[in-house]
Amino acid sequence: MTSTTHATSLAADSQRRPPFWRNTTLIKWTVQVAVLFTVLAAFWFLITQARSNLSARGIPVGYDWFDDPANFQLGEGIQTVDSPERRLTMSRALWVGMANTFRVAIAGIIFATIIGVIVGVSRLSKNYVARRASSVYVEMLRNVPILVQIILWLAILGSIGALTPDTGPIKGWVIVSQKGISIPRVFLADGFYQFLSLFLLLSVGIWFVRRRLVARQERLGGNQHVGSITTALVVAALVVSWFANAPMAFLRGVFASLESAWGSIPQVVVQVGLAALAVGVGALRVRAFLQSRRTPAGLAKLTDDDWFRLLFIALVAIVAAFIVLRVWPGLSSWLINSGRDFFGVLSDKFGDGRGTRPLDAMRPTLSTGRFVNYGTTGLTMTVFYASLFFGLVFYTSAFIAEVVRGGILAVPTGQGEAAAALGLSRGQALRKVILPQAFRVIMPPLGNQYLNLTKNTSLGIAVGFSEIVQVGQTVYNKNSQTLAVFSIYMMFFLACSLTISSIVNYINRRLAIVER
Amino acid sequence: MSTRNTPVRWVRENLFSSVGNSAQTVVFSLIILGLLRWLLGQAFAEESNWESVATNLRLLMAYNYPTGQFVRIWVSAGALFFAVGLSFATWNVRPMIGFRRLLTTLVGFGCFALICGLVTPGTTPSVVRTSMFAIGGVLVVGGLAAGRLVPRAGERNVGFGRLLVAVSGLAMAVVWLVPFGKHSFIDGAIAVERGVTIASSTKMPWTVLFAVLVSTFFAGRAIAVRIRKQLKIALIAWWVVGPAFVLFLVLRDPAFDWSRIWSVDVPIAAAFALGGGAVLYVLARPGREDLARVVGALLVGFALLHWVAGFAGWYGMLQKVRISFVLLAIAVLLVPTFAGERRARLRLSGGWIGLMVVLHWLITAINTPSTLVISAPPFIGGLVLTITIAYYVMLASFPLGVLLSLARTSKLPIFRVLSTGFVEVVRGVPLITVLFFFSIMLPLFLPRGMGISDLAAVFTGYTLFSAAYMAENLRGGLQSVRRGQFDASDALGLTTVQRTVFITLPQALRVAIPNLVGQAIATFKETSLIAIVGGFDILRIANSTIPNQPDFLGQKRPALLFVALVYFVFTYSMSKSAQSLEKKLEAGRVR
Repeated sequence: MTSTTHATSLAADSQRRPPFWRNTTLIKWTVQVAVLFTVLAAFWFLITQARSNLSARGIPVGYDWFDDPANFQLGEGIQTVDSPERRLTMSRALWVGMANTFRVAIAGIIFATIIGVIVGVSRLSKNYVARRASSVYVEMLRNVPILVQIILWLAILGSIGALTPDTGPIKGWVIVSQKGISIPRVFLADGFYQFLSLFLLLSVGIWFVRRRLVARQERLGGNQHVGSITTALVVAALVVSWFANAPMAFLRGVFASLESAWGSIPQVVVQVGLAALAVGVGALRVRAFLQSRRTPAGLAKLTDDDWFRLLFIALVAIVAAFIVLRVWPGLSSWLINSGRDFFGVLSDKFGDGRGTRPLDAMRPTLSTGRFVNYGTTGLTMTVFYASLFFGLVFYTSAFIAEVVRGGILAVPTGQGEAAAALGLSRGQALRKVILPQAFRVIMPPLGNQYLNLTKNTSLGIAVGFSEIVQVGQTVYNKNSQTLAVFSIYMMFFLACSLTISSIVNYINRRLAIVER
Repeated sequence: MSTRNTPVRWVRENLFSSVGNSAQTVVFSLIILGLLRWLLGQAFAEESNWESVATNLRLLMAYNYPTGQFVRIWVSAGALFFAVGLSFATWNVRPMIGFRRLLTTLVGFGCFALICGLVTPGTTPSVVRTSMFAIGGVLVVGGLAAGRLVPRAGERNVGFGRLLVAVSGLAMAVVWLVPFGKHSFIDGAIAVERGVTIASSTKMPWTVLFAVLVSTFFAGRAIAVRIRKQLKIALIAWWVVGPAFVLFLVLRDPAFDWSRIWSVDVPIAAAFALGGGAVLYVLARPGREDLARVVGALLVGFALLHWVAGFAGWYGMLQKVRISFVLLAIAVLLVPTFAGERRARLRLSGGWIGLMVVLHWLITAINTPSTLVISAPPFIGGLVLTITIAYYVMLASFPLGVLLSLARTSKLPIFRVLSTGFVEVVRGVPLITVLFFFSIMLPLFLPRGMGISDLAAVFTGYTLFSAAYMAENLRGGLQSVRRGQFDASDALGLTTVQRTVFITLPQALRVAIPNLVGQAIATFKETSLIAIVGGFDILRIANSTIPNQPDFLGQKRPALLFVALVYFVFTYSMSKSAQSLEKKLEAGRVR
């Protein structure tokens, strides 16, 4: 066989399509579709099993129980008991649980960051005692499970003195007892939303003014007092919106009309819209895909793999449209209802046209051996909140300290030496040279720690703190709606993690070194 | 010598070199001393009764395992010490430790004990305070004296074997000589015999255990000179299979129905092991790849048919037969990857036979009821449960994590989407919701008539959760494999599976080892969460069982502090060894 015939036979081989049982593309896609089908079938099987098992016990699966009255009390939160003017429904109880989770998570993130940064920086201190002390802190806290720490905090806090009217380090102002810790607090009063909306409105104006000022600065040079004028305007806007926020009450009417407008959208419109959205997104993906296969000489010949991809995208879009239209109309009505409720809640937030104080303050108040509940007293950490909070803060701060230390070590030593050569003190060098650079390395793992802290709030269930998981458990113990409650857990925590990771990504993008 | 380090000079340079430095020294010293005093105050508060821990040690370690059967626990611990001693010798961990460094550590501990004795609040029992001073004094004086008296202390090293003997001897001396008192819980009332050493039913087994540890270490060192490689393989096999053996055969003591085993179980296992091994041996010959694929596809269809038949109720079949058919189908499909000459084929068949034997034995052991008479159903609890769960979760989630990470980095879109979705959803939710979900929903998901124990349900959930994190850790390793490696394996004509198994995975695993050890630590710590979902682990016992005993009503702090200490000892030693492992890996990497 000569080399030319060999070459032509090879060319002919590559032209000829292989038989279907040796076509790798076909095999790959068959296996993939088979696996997808198996997974979906397994899910379908499990869900049907659960449904039939539940209905055998007389438990319908769904979300119809949202408006049922919650026949239980919550430990703490923005609403703990049922009252005629404010019903405590099941969904309201879950909402209170979510609010409690946020209360712990946000405060925990702030304090854990502060402590973690201090400890992480002092782990690299030149001072032997500081270095040793902070490394002992880190090793001690991160090597003991957080659950043990939380429960230990509860045991420790439960062993301090009982609550009496004259308890506390500073009587009447700061109270520390086995019922909890209470300090005076500032809270949002009735006028806050009027204040906020007016301030945002004025801020838009200020933003335009500032843009003009900056432009003038760049045109004329010199000091045109951009910073000071902006600050003065912001202060003025704050003062104006603090005292003269009454006119903003008209927003109540606006939101009320939006509420009724949203509620009057026919369900069919939403269904068709969602179906069109699914088909449209599918079509866009197909178009983008075809665009990517376009060469200067026209559309390239599509391979088998490309055809499978196109087919799969189209199939998914059609199935999604079908689901929205026929299988699951509840989705559309849920969208309508929740949009309506959202505007309803917003319109409730606005007052009756009187200018009211946006903020108010209060000292701790006691009633017969216990703290007065949330809303009419000082800033009270119940002992359950406190044990969860301390556990989360100290445990997470140890990890944050390690993250900070790693970030600082990642900055080249030359940077610190250069700063020292320029005559900066160690503190200055840290503040102005090292930390800003370390921040880029620190940010992604720091976001991870924030996420861990938020997820670990669910351990409040061990000490009886009413966060979302504990409230959810109470709910499904009452009405056996486990499947629904677990779906709420999942959506809640996924929303939290998406929020945190998108914030971190945003900051990361802003901080990224602009490379030429 | 002008640069000689005197303590005064060191203090001046490190602690009081400038005003800021001095201020740091003072502030941090005050904080750390205050915290230490507070912590000691919590441990030795007036109302704290440490007898609650001393009396309940057995409960904390093994929950309500029957006293008469306790020898089983000791045998299991013996198996563990045996394996640990051999592994130390085989892998030659830390052959030498600097003598000077050892002394510094001892003096440091001594100083810490002295400081504890000084700052401990007045509620501390005087015997504790005295022993703090005594231990601290002995360590400091002994350490300093040894540093002076031993000639050329800076150049000497201490071998690991000697250290092991010293530590074991010290532990035994403490157990045999120090009058801890005999604490026991008889008929719901505590009985304390003060001023004597601990009961011989405790100290005898511990002595034997330490003797086993030391003797296996030296024996292993002698053997490892000749057959290190075979010893390593045997030990890895024992670490993977041994714990299951200990758990289901020794601790659980299954009541085997031998006639059924000989008439049903053994024939099935033998048929699958030998038949499957023969099929694999025949198909693994080079040049029979296509035949293997055809047979594999047929077997997949056959295996699926059994499952469908099982759901539809056409004909009955033992579950383990179905599982074995699926495994055989997968093995046959993988045959072309491992095809080769006689040696490779024998290894393949041998691996299959080993897998079948272990699997069938495990299924039989799990499905056989236990003979142990225990008031509460789970036959293990306490620290044993904690360690067991952590160990098996890591073991079981490993293959799952490998599969998930491979799917996530693959080029096939559906696999990638499925795996990414699973990993991200699981990583987004807290472990406790996953555990609740599985302990409540898994029984509901099963077909009617099928049940699963609480602990098994929790274990399943924990494994899936851990697999998602494992996948994420392995993904980093997979992504670090250089592109040139793929090109080279393509140039050699390897198939995708061969490339993955022989080229990509080994390199990825090596890179991922430090992260995996970190995950093992996290898994061990998070095992404490089973206390919330109903397992009687060490935390649950300390938090709710002991404080409810009439003699120790409300005694939470001592037991919880003890639990924290136990976790700390395990986790800290794991993280320290992980650090040295990381250094070893760094040093071994040639670039």
